[in-house]
Amino acid sequence: MNAHTDDVRLVGVRKRFGSVVAVDDVSLGIARGTIFSLLGPSGCGKTTTLRLIAGFEQPDAGDIFIRGVRVTPMPPYRRDFSMVFQSYALFPHLTVAENVAFGLRMRRVARGERARSVGEALALVKLEALADRHPRQLSGGQQQRVALARAIVVKPAVLLLDEPLGALDKQLREEMQVELRSLQQRLGITAVFVTHDQEEALTLSDCVAVMRNGVIEQIGAPRDIYDRPRNAFVASFLGASNFIDGIVVGRDAASIIVETPAARVRVPGDRSAGERVQIAVRPERLRMEGSDAQGLPARIRDIVYRGPVTHFHLDSAAGPLLSYRQNARASDFRIGDEVRCEWDSDSAVVLDGPGE
Amino acid sequence: MRSAWRWFLLAPPLALLLVFFVVPVVYLFWVSLHAGSTSELYGASLTLRNYTALVGDSFYLTIIGRTLAIAAVILGLCLVIGYPVAYFVAMLPPRRRMLATLVLLFPLMVSNVVRAYGWVALLERRGVVNTTLHDLGLLDAPLALLYTPSAVVVALMTILLPYMVISIANTLAGLDRRYLEAAQALGASPVRTFLHVTLPLSAPGIASGTLLVFLLTLSAYVTITLVGGPRSKLLVSMIYDSVTAFQWPRAAALAFVLLVLALAFTAGMLALLRPGRVQGSAR
Repeated sequence: MNAHTDDVRLVGVRKRFGSVVAVDDVSLGIARGTIFSLLGPSGCGKTTTLRLIAGFEQPDAGDIFIRGVRVTPMPPYRRDFSMVFQSYALFPHLTVAENVAFGLRMRRVARGERARSVGEALALVKLEALADRHPRQLSGGQQQRVALARAIVVKPAVLLLDEPLGALDKQLREEMQVELRSLQQRLGITAVFVTHDQEEALTLSDCVAVMRNGVIEQIGAPRDIYDRPRNAFVASFLGASNFIDGIVVGRDAASIIVETPAARVRVPGDRSAGERVQIAVRPERLRMEGSDAQGLPARIRDIVYRGPVTHFHLDSAAGPLLSYRQNARASDFRIGDEVRCEWDSDSAVVLDGPGE
Repeated sequence: MRSAWRWFLLAPPLALLLVFFVVPVVYLFWVSLHAGSTSELYGASLTLRNYTALVGDSFYLTIIGRTLAIAAVILGLCLVIGYPVAYFVAMLPPRRRMLATLVLLFPLMVSNVVRAYGWVALLERRGVVNTTLHDLGLLDAPLALLYTPSAVVVALMTILLPYMVISIANTLAGLDRRYLEAAQALGASPVRTFLHVTLPLSAPGIASGTLLVFLLTLSAYVTITLVGGPRSKLLVSMIYDSVTAFQWPRAAALAFVLLVLALAFTAGMLALLRPGRVQGSAR
């Protein structure tokens, strides 16, 4: 993180509501031209963090910077940002074009330039034809685009998005994800995106912060936090994972040997011998082999066909396990079969702290 | 089937409306088109004289003008005084807002007649206001406060103000705060947020408050009679006077003029404020 190219920077920000600490000592930097996602379950503080950047909430401690300007004491309307709300909050008394023009009017942009910018913004979201409609005459997806056009037309230093796709159905949501991503990249916008949908965060973001109880549990690129979760919460929030407990019995340069109730496994990491650890392996990385192979012995309890993949639920001495298998490969596994579970050693992660 | 049910359910109120409203109004219009009679409800000959006489007579035109002027002044005062109060009430937490609304309703719990006599007691030549000012040495001769248009304005405004305040406060309280945040997120200062978002979005409350105040002013009788006296008569007093003189067709014509004024004002207000376009939530 380089403070000079960060469009948004939070330093030790804390916010409490009554006795509840909603945001607890959060520090982060968001690089210019990237999408940063705040991901977490409801009540984790992600929306409060966004509202602190906007200035709708005042932090109890810490500082907030937008493009290097300390905005902590500024009211929202003096900060260089715009926002797309979950409910869109389009002004019902204004037409689509007037809604999009609102931010330009407030910035006292001349009428001619205003009309040109509004036209361009509506073209970007493919809504030129609906410029004279009122919001209530639009579908949810169209309202979403108007809200987006209204927010980008002012060319803000940072675009804040509060679960903007939450109200759309699945197919439209996926379309809008792709559209939002390409629009953001074309315009080089810096964006902060709040979502509870891990798939959406992985799809859209350059960087994801996973939050819980007001604390950032892990910040990183989508692939990092998915493949190398720091703890059990991050691992399980970003999809299914196999958690296996064990004791470190040996180590070498870059990896440790963990004795689990079912087998000895080698995992990249650095722990001392005798330490109790928990390791995590994603189900799609857990391979099943015949019972004559090496690996962790298990028995197939259940097989669930899911279209592109099949889920195998396994029992082992180390607890229940889950393995995904692409249906492109033929499979003759049956319920009750004895199998061996294997994974590439860099597919396993040693987690911090006690498991959940 | 569904439409049959609809008609079945609508039939009783429709019948009531027809018998007790539409038929009488049509009959009233029929009466207004006749000459007066000393022995019957209306005379035998059909005529437009009741209407043409109003337009040609400066006495009636003055009264219609005074009625509209007083209604306009009351309306303006109610808006200017009422909006800030409504804004204050709407920003209160729900429990306190309930209490404030109750306090606002207090004046309406007192009988019209009692309230009007209260104003008489305050404003008459030897009323509370004049004697107090006299005793304080501020006044040599008593002021003529009662039986003036100003007395009518003050007396009517004070009972009509709650209608305006409550109408606007209800709209403002129901206003989705996210609109205000959206405006601020787009760079609108509090003043501009108010002018460009809050004010237009409170149009439904302004419209209903304005209509209530205007229509209740047009139809007020007790207050204008007791506080306005014989020299500040309004349209309603003229209807009453015509009835007491047994000029039923003249009274009917005046009633129609009043109705047309009320309808024209309502149509104008709805066209101006278009409350329908802003109803609904932030979705």
